[in-house]
Amino acid sequence: MTTQTVVPQRVWTIRPRSTPALATIAAAALIGYLLVGLFGPLLIDYDPVATSVADRLLPPGAVTKDGAVALLGTDGAGRDMLGQLVYGARTSIIVGVSVVATCLVIGLGFGTLAGYLSGWTDVAISRLIDILMAFPGILLAVVIAGLFDRGILVVVLSLSVAGWVAFARLARGLTFSLRERPWVDAARLVGVPTPLMIVRHIIPFVIGPITALATTEFAGAVLTEAGLSFLGLGLPPSAVSWGQAIANGRDYLDTAWWISAIPGLALTGLVVSTGLLGDHLTQRLGARR
Amino acid sequence: MLLKRLRHTAVAAAVSLSLAITAGCTTTSGGTADDANLPQDLVVAAQFPIENLDPHGAAALDNGTQVAAKAIFSALVRTTGPGKFEGVLAESWKANENATQWTFTLREGVKFSDGTPVTSADVVASFQRVVTLKGAMASNFSTHQAAAPDARTVTITAKNPDPALLGKLGTFYVTPAAQDKSGWDKPVGSGPFLVEQFTPGQSLKLTANPGYFGGKPTLERLDIRSIGEMAARLTALKTGEVDLTWTVPDDQLPGLRSSPDLVVENVNSNSVLTMWMNSSSKGLTNPAVRRAMWQAVDFATIIKSLYPETGKVADSVVGPAVLGYAAQTPVKYDPAAAKAALDAAGWDYNQTVRFQFSQPQFQQFTDAVASDLAKIGVKVTPLQKESAVFLQDLLALNWDLNIQQLGTSGFDAATNLGRLYTCAAKRMGYCNPTLDGLLSQAGSTSDTAKRQSLYAQANKIIWDDAVGMYPMFVQTPYIRNKSVQGFTLPVDATPDFSTVRIGSAGK
Repeated sequence: MTTQTVVPQRVWTIRPRSTPALATIAAAALIGYLLVGLFGPLLIDYDPVATSVADRLLPPGAVTKDGAVALLGTDGAGRDMLGQLVYGARTSIIVGVSVVATCLVIGLGFGTLAGYLSGWTDVAISRLIDILMAFPGILLAVVIAGLFDRGILVVVLSLSVAGWVAFARLARGLTFSLRERPWVDAARLVGVPTPLMIVRHIIPFVIGPITALATTEFAGAVLTEAGLSFLGLGLPPSAVSWGQAIANGRDYLDTAWWISAIPGLALTGLVVSTGLLGDHLTQRLGARR
Repeated sequence: MLLKRLRHTAVAAAVSLSLAITAGCTTTSGGTADDANLPQDLVVAAQFPIENLDPHGAAALDNGTQVAAKAIFSALVRTTGPGKFEGVLAESWKANENATQWTFTLREGVKFSDGTPVTSADVVASFQRVVTLKGAMASNFSTHQAAAPDARTVTITAKNPDPALLGKLGTFYVTPAAQDKSGWDKPVGSGPFLVEQFTPGQSLKLTANPGYFGGKPTLERLDIRSIGEMAARLTALKTGEVDLTWTVPDDQLPGLRSSPDLVVENVNSNSVLTMWMNSSSKGLTNPAVRRAMWQAVDFATIIKSLYPETGKVADSVVGPAVLGYAAQTPVKYDPAAAKAALDAAGWDYNQTVRFQFSQPQFQQFTDAVASDLAKIGVKVTPLQKESAVFLQDLLALNWDLNIQQLGTSGFDAATNLGRLYTCAAKRMGYCNPTLDGLLSQAGSTSDTAKRQSLYAQANKIIWDDAVGMYPMFVQTPYIRNKSVQGFTLPVDATPDFSTVRIGSAGK
């Protein structure tokens, strides 16, 4: 029992082999996105409400009527694509981090409780997890996002409702084996109270695999947010989102490809590099306990 | 393993694709152009979804419902141009001296698709239905009474003279007296087509009516679809899945023109892009504020950029071909003056203006308007609403700024100004007794010159009081496959499919 290894849950069925070099490149790309998201908005001025119809559909590198260079072109209403890319990166990162943080806290809490207490607590939490697992996450998100007015909080809520389940399942499984470990037995004998036991003796050993999972969940959250915004259910038009930018370019795919292609590529880059890093972390941290 | 399977699939796909291409080539090069053998099926992607087939109710004047109604039902008369009318169910008509009573003689032998004859009783019942349902058309006929002295004669009597009655009747369709509440998903009519299947908001499938009094249409089947996504609609048009559509953004027209299979034709509509401001809404009650809002938007640039081909800066509330048109003083773009006027009027800059629209084609226009207003500090939120919600909110005045493309049926201001701008109509919260007086006088005078002058005065009041912004006269592009023949460009935004036939392309 004590030698049992926990195989981390696989998110993708087919995965490229993760090598340290690949992981380094992915990490560098992610840091790039983070820097752009954090500092880009301080350097580039962009107002999603302001349009300049005289400058609409300019190709990348064209000069606008007030003399500025639109490095990545403009969209159908004359808004700068570079600005949308940079502000969209910030939005994506904020949404991704908020969703993962919410899911992680809830999932870790429920998962360790279920695993450590077992019995009825476990039955109740596990059935709740089963119910949520049986329901397609994106459908749940669409329903919740459609019920309320558009806003960032609604998006985070709708993505978190089903997102914590993966964390809870992983945490529960790990805790099940951890609670049989000698140091946990020892602590229990000394009389360490349950909350302290979970925080001091369980969570530190669970957090590694959970972190690895968090990276892949981050990619999923970013992608789903873009999907919701594409459908017009996500963020309000006053917020800049890659999903909205891609949706705005749908009518111009054959004449002004850059409107959809540039944010689409940015989204792909972010999701792929997060996935690669997540894979690497899963290999590294998933085995360590 | 998976890779191997994938490769197999790819090979299979390539083989079937090349087969399909070869097959396609054979039919195009070897097929004989025998029109008689071509399937007479027309697929149309309409501009607006058809939500309801009831031509008398709240949605009666929706373009979707009107397009469907023209195919399924028959009107008494129809408009063929400014001041010109043609009998449909009515064979002849005449008005008494002061135009308070109109007498229509019905065509003989017209039958509904269920075999019952169309009688004057049906016309009267339909007319009363319009009035009792209090729908979009009802205010056209507020003091009117219909009567049937005999089976082929209908009289419509108004309290005051109504010289514009024919124009108003152009959108009035006759349904069987027996059909009142139920059966509106498959209504009985006397038009060129019969309803086969109707899915609200999505598609209307029609078949030719063999008993149509004008002769059975050449088309066997007519499928009117709603494809909301513009890219999808244009792709469907290019691939031949759809044969005809209208109202496409100007951006797309050059691409469509270059396609060898398509014909693009622009037609002058009498529509005006109309942006009502809710005069009953906080802050917008003051005409000075509304004028300032209008002044703050650079419509000339917006129109030049977004509608270089089909848009023209408007100078009147109604289109130039309409009786009642009068050129007004253009509103000049002047953000500084607008800002000063708003300051003077005490506009609350924290207030958000709810700008509602329904069609995706207005997205960039509304964004551009919001942007210009934001430049002087007015906060505007464009709200795109699903068309049923949009209509409901529009009637409930649950908006501050609204955008619509508004036509004038019958080319007579009576159906536009006279119907919408009275205090009783409550369409944009605006109420002006002087305007009411002018409109009722214009609506009840039989002298055309006098009516023109009265409507011109009404036009001026509406324009100067900025009941709405009236930025643009609209041309409508119709794009059809070359195989669609016999199609006449409609003057009233509702195409007539009864004359269309499918021929071989390029002829």
